[in-house]
Order: sequence, then structure tokens, then C-alpha cells
Amino acid sequence: MGNKRKKANRLLCLFLAALLAVGFIQQLPSGKGGSTVTAKAEAKESGDTFTVGFDASFPPYGYQDENGEYVGFDLDLAQEVCDRNGWKLVKQPIDWDSKDMELNSGNIDCIWNGFTMNGRENDYTWSTPYVDNSQVVVVPEDSDIQSLSDLEGKIVIVQNDSSALAAFTGDDATEENKELADSFKDLQQVADYNTAFMNMDSGMAEAVCMDIGVAQYQLAQRQGKYRMLDEQVSSEQYGIGFKKGNYELRDQVQKTLNEMEEDGTFDQIAEKWGLTDSVCLADTMTMDFADEKAASSADASSDSTASGAAIAAKGNSGSFGQRCLSICGQLGKGLLATLAIFFLTLLFSLPLGLLVTFVRRSRFKVLQWIARIFISILRGTPLMLQLLVVFYGPAILFGATLSYKWRFIAVIIGFSINYAAYFAEIFRSGIDNVPAGQTEAAQVLGLSRGQTFRHIIFPQMVKRVMPPVTNEVITLVKDTSLAYAIAYTEMFTIAQRIVARDANLMPLFVAGLFYYIFNALVAAVMARLEKKLSYFE
Amino acid sequence: MSDMLFKASHLKKSFGETEVLKDITVEVAQGEVVSILGPSGSGKSTFLRCATLLETMDGGSLEYEGKYAVRDEGGKAVYASGDELRKIRQSFGLVFQNFNLFPHYTALKNIMLSPVLTQKRNEEEVRKEAMVLLEKVGLSDKADAYPGQLSGGQKQRVAIARALAMNPKIIFFDEPTSALDPELTAGILRVLKDLAKEKMTMVIVTHEIQFAHDISDRVVFMADGNIIEQGRPQDVIDHPANQRTRDFLNLLTE
Ligand SMILES: Nc1ncnc2c1ncn2[C@@H]1O[C@H](COP(=O)(O)OP(=O)(O)OP(=O)(O)O)[C@@H](O)[C@H]1O
Ligand SMILES: [Mg+2]
Repeated sequence: MGNKRKKANRLLCLFLAALLAVGFIQQLPSGKGGSTVTAKAEAKESGDTFTVGFDASFPPYGYQDENGEYVGFDLDLAQEVCDRNGWKLVKQPIDWDSKDMELNSGNIDCIWNGFTMNGRENDYTWSTPYVDNSQVVVVPEDSDIQSLSDLEGKIVIVQNDSSALAAFTGDDATEENKELADSFKDLQQVADYNTAFMNMDSGMAEAVCMDIGVAQYQLAQRQGKYRMLDEQVSSEQYGIGFKKGNYELRDQVQKTLNEMEEDGTFDQIAEKWGLTDSVCLADTMTMDFADEKAASSADASSDSTASGAAIAAKGNSGSFGQRCLSICGQLGKGLLATLAIFFLTLLFSLPLGLLVTFVRRSRFKVLQWIARIFISILRGTPLMLQLLVVFYGPAILFGATLSYKWRFIAVIIGFSINYAAYFAEIFRSGIDNVPAGQTEAAQVLGLSRGQTFRHIIFPQMVKRVMPPVTNEVITLVKDTSLAYAIAYTEMFTIAQRIVARDANLMPLFVAGLFYYIFNALVAAVMARLEKKLSYFE
Repeated sequence: MSDMLFKASHLKKSFGETEVLKDITVEVAQGEVVSILGPSGSGKSTFLRCATLLETMDGGSLEYEGKYAVRDEGGKAVYASGDELRKIRQSFGLVFQNFNLFPHYTALKNIMLSPVLTQKRNEEEVRKEAMVLLEKVGLSDKADAYPGQLSGGQKQRVAIARALAMNPKIIFFDEPTSALDPELTAGILRVLKDLAKEKMTMVIVTHEIQFAHDISDRVVFMADGNIIEQGRPQDVIDHPANQRTRDFLNLLTE
């Protein structure tokens, strides 16, 4: 999944959240959750575009191949459906956490991406299930884990908001699976499966739980380095999710799919992607649609399909104030992590920046160049990339086995060196702007180089750099959310997970408010400092 | 070795291709006041900067109290060790045209800074001395003012007091009044005259001809990186021998 995209998406989310806040809050459903604005009839005609939203890091269903093309089983199916209807297919990769926003805003026509129906029956208008999928556990080939019970005391990884996660901790998780999850040392969430395998490679986790189709694909890709446990965690089904109420389009797609099943095209495509054992359209094409079943049983007290609504409703229950409080409480845990990143980064990056400035201004050409290259790389590449390098680098380059704490340490190191580079350039220009006469006067008065810097240059530099440093500090407040890149759970990550769980934008708005207040405080403190330094000109 | 307090011999300095100082020899005896006159761009400031070690000279030698700061070795200027230069720096002071006070310290702290830091003297003792110096330059009431709160003339007085606080043997002044209004100029010149009476050794670059005439034991006239003429003010200023000196003086008195 493209990291830059992700950042852009998150900013977009924040922006949208702020924009929609007022109208949206009034419109919050008071009773049952998930009943977002109902789509009008949106049947397509020949020549129309058909936009499929998918997570580009979910092979074999949808992913980016070596040539940068988006390919996969689901995308092949979508292409065939489009060809038969005369539609133009647009493959739109999305940030999985933002899928509902994408769908409800009309950016995409459907989510077609190994999309688990179980537990979400009520949130979308579904096709019939076309893949029967199970959750399995993958471990390194040489691992001593043989059965699910061997996972006790181990660190297990799942993808954010994945079926595997739901199977362990979701409301409709079986007691068995919940107990199993409790026996783990830790159940960690990562953004994608690549990250999951890297974590396993570096010894930070012992097992990864994922969909069987994904597991088969990953095992084939990683030739013999891993194996799958025979015992399965759970089984579930994939469907195509349309905006709730968009029956016209769903029916068009379903009809075409059924035709493809009847003439064998569907099975051909399944075979191409090695999914012959998983597909189940032949058995389900005549079934009732899941959402209609759910609707008809919505009033019935205990139906398994109502659990999706129950999950969604949980986030939306209670009064507006209670909901706000509950979200604040959940975000509060992340806020501590955000504060830790912020203060530790400042604590380390400011002195480190000064050190880099010294090296940059050293008399030795070699040192000058080292500092220049350091600054240019750190300012010239995305912070997110730097975080990934710091986090995975030691394991990949030196085969180091890293402790559980490394994730947090890597965040602090990554942020500190990145900000040090920016501070170094700010300090350097601050020093250059102190008039040469100051140094000369100090020199004639017999001050050493060190004394000149400490007593004459440094105090004047500090005053000069206050405005640009303030800018950086404010940026840092917002940048803390990038710790998400290496799945370090800070406030924004939590906000997005709540959004994904509750299908409701309010957490983003609350998080935005937290950042805003945080920054207002930062700005006030910096203004005070500047005022304190205004005793001289 | 000479008995001169300061001696610059055959000083040469170029900036790239331009030879700014061609061959400058100046000696200053204990208690002497020497004024340097000359047209703009003739190298007066560059000479002071070489003499105060702010600029590295290319050729010639430099002595303070008989100790070499710079030796002439086969036409090349060779500097003494860092330690020796640090000692030599204690024997001279420099007052800049634009003061160069430290803006983040009060007038008093500007004066006290170096004696406390570099001479490791007792802070209380230095404070008392600094107050005496401030009184001497007429600013005892501005001890706690920051440079930004002082007028140009007041700043220059603090700068002079700052140089004096180091107890230097000789003080160089580079156009100490040319950034000031005429009324303020008179005040600074009075301070310099008082110093001359106390037998402070001084080298003053100035465009104030009358002042140079009154205060100086000797006047040096520079043009194009050379010394054209030097001697008693009655001779060089009242009866210049050289045509260039005459032209320059006429220009100033016109
Ligand atoms: N750092 C430098 N780099 C290059 N050229 C310089 C530098 N400093 C001075 N010069 C040149 O050296 C020459 C002498 O300059 P200097 O400042 O010594 O003259 P001055 O006699 O003090 O003049 P003024 O009366 O205007 O102060 C000028 O031509 C000037 O442009
Ligand atoms: Mg000059």
C-alpha cells in the first residue's frame, strides 16, 4: 500500500471530518448504526464507468504487480463483468480504513476485494458469497508450533480490521477463539501482510493469522520458508459490497456473475489464481441476498446475521455526549503515545540538530559533506519511509532479533533524526544571520571559539530561530500520526480503527479537535518563549 | 627587538588579485597617539584588522611589546602559536565603527564579559571596575540598559569602556564617530581626549581633521595601500609635503 497515499488519505480524512462535522453530527443516527444515507437507484448503462475500490496490498484478490499494474482474481472478475456490460473498468486502490468513506462519497461503485461479509451483512448491499474463505495460521517452516494450542504465550500478528482480527476479538468471535487469543502473549495489528512477514522474519512475532487464499498465495511467493497449520481458526465468505441501497447495480453485477459461472468463465478465472478450492458461487448464486435476509430478521431478537448491526450499533449507542466521552476515553490512550512521541522527539532532535550544525560548519571538508548528505537525505525522503527503514533495517541488514520495545524506540529514533535534520538547517541559518561583527568583537576581546559560541552566538541564534522552530514543532504535533507506518498505535491510528469499527466519522473529528487543542497550547507556549526573548533586539 | 609598544613592518595584504596593503610600516611608542588619515578605500580599516588579528596578512611582521605575533620568514607572514596569540590579544583593544555591542547583554555585562571569562577575574571586582568605567564615559545611569535602548553615541561609549575593561596596552579605533551625528561626535571625541591625557596609547582612524590635529602626537597619511607621509600634525596637516596629501586635505576642508 503506497505510504504517501496513505498520508494523503489521512489528511483528507481529517479535512473531511472537519468539513462534515457540523452537518454530520446533527445527522448521526440515534438508534441503529450503519444506516448511512441510502443511495438512489444507480443502474449503469453501456459506456458508463464502473469503479472498483480495492486494497492494493491484498493478493491474490487485488494488488500491484511488478509492472505497477493492478491485478488479481477480483479485478479479473470485475474486468469480465465490465466487458460483458460494455462498462469501462476503473481500478481504484483505497486505504482500507477509509473504504466506507470512499463508497459513501461515490468515489467507488463497490468494494470488490476479498471482502468478508460475515459481521457486515447490514452495512452494505451485497452480492451472494462467491468465495468461501477460512482463517489459517502461518508460521516459519522451522517453527515448533504445530497446532493452535501451541500458540499459547506467542506473539501473533493480524492485519488491521481483518477477518482474522474479527475472528479473535470481534463480537461474534467464538468463545474458543477468544480464549485462544487470550492465551497469546500479544495479538498485534499491522497495516499489511508484508509488514506481518517482516515482523516474523525479524523475530518480533511467531505467527501470522490470515485468509486461506492469502496464505496460499504468500506461501507460494515465499517458497518453503513458511508453512500453514492444519487446524483452521474460522471460516467465512467473501462478497462484493455495494453502497447500501444500490440494488440496481448489485443486481446487474450479480446477473453477469451468474452468467459467468454458468458458462465456466468464473471457474477459469478462479483456476488462474489458484482459488478453485475456495470459490463457491455455484452453490450460492441462487441464494437470497444477505442484506435482505438481515433486513427481514432485523426485528427478530437473536439471529446470527444481526451481529454485524450489533457491532456497528455499539459505537453509536447512547447520547451524543456519552458517545463523545467514550471516544475521548478511547483516544486518550493513544494521546499518551502521541505525547510521548512529541516530547521525546523534541528532547533528542534539538540537541542532535545542534550537533549536526556543528559538523556542518566544521573546518574539515569531509565532516561538512557527511553533514550535508545526512541533511539532504533526511529532508529529501518521506519521514514515513525513514521510519520503515529504521524499524526494519536492523533485522533485514544484520539479521538482528529485535525486542518488543523496538517498535517504539524506532519511532523515536526515526522522528528524532528526521527533525534533527530540519533543526540543523534552521540553526545554521540562524547562526549565519548573526552579524560577523559579533564574532569579531568576541575574538578581539579574547574569547575562545567555544566561549564565543556559548555566550555570544547561541543566545542570539535562539532568538532568531524561534519562528521557524515553532513551525516545525507544530508540524511535529501532526506528524506524530505517521508512527502508524510501523503500526505504532498512537491517537490517529486509534481514531481510524474506531471509524472502521463503528462506521462513523466522529472519532476523526474528535482526534482533529485534540490535535488542534494540542497545537494551540504549543503555539501559546512558543509565543511566550518568543516574548521572553524580546528583551533585546 | 624594538622598544616600541606596537610595530608593523612591511605589512602586505591582498584580497584575491587586489593588493590592498602594499608595504605598511608603522611604529607606536608607549603613550603615543597616532591618527591615520586617508581617502576611502586606501586600506585603513584593513590595516587595523590585520593589526588586531581579525584578518590574516600575507607578508611582513607584527610585534606587540617586543613579542612577535607575526614573523616575516623569507617574505611570508608566519603566525605565532594559538597560545601565544591568545596572550598577545590581551594587550590590545579595538573599537569598531558600528560598535558591535552584544545586544543580549546589558551595558554593564558587555563590559564585564571578557574580564570575567578570559581573564578569570573576580566578578565583584570586575563589576566595580566596570561601574567606574561607565562613570568615566558618562553612562553610570545606563548600566542596566540593553544596547537596543541606547543612542549611537551611548553605544560607542559602552564599546570604549568595554575595550578599556581589558586593561589593554593599546587601543585601535576605526572611525569611532563616523556613524554618529555631530553632537554625539563631540562627546566621543571628548572621551578620547581624556584618554590621551591619561597617556593611553591609541591608534585612531578618523576623518575629523581638527580632532586629529589636536589630539595626535603623529599623523599617518595613507593612500592606495601605502603610507605617503607621516609626522607631527603641525607638519602633515598644516604643511603637507606631498601633493596627494594636499589634495585630500583640500577636499575635506572645502
Ligand atoms: N573582505 C574583503 N574582500 C575583498 N576586498 C576587500 C575586503 N575588505 C576590504 N576590501 C577592499 O580593500 C580596499 C581597502 O578597504 P578598507 O576598508 O581597508 O578601506 P578604508 O581605507 O578603511 O576605507 P574607508 O575610509 O571607506 O573606510 C577596498 O578597495 C575594499 O573594497
Ligand atoms: Mg574603513
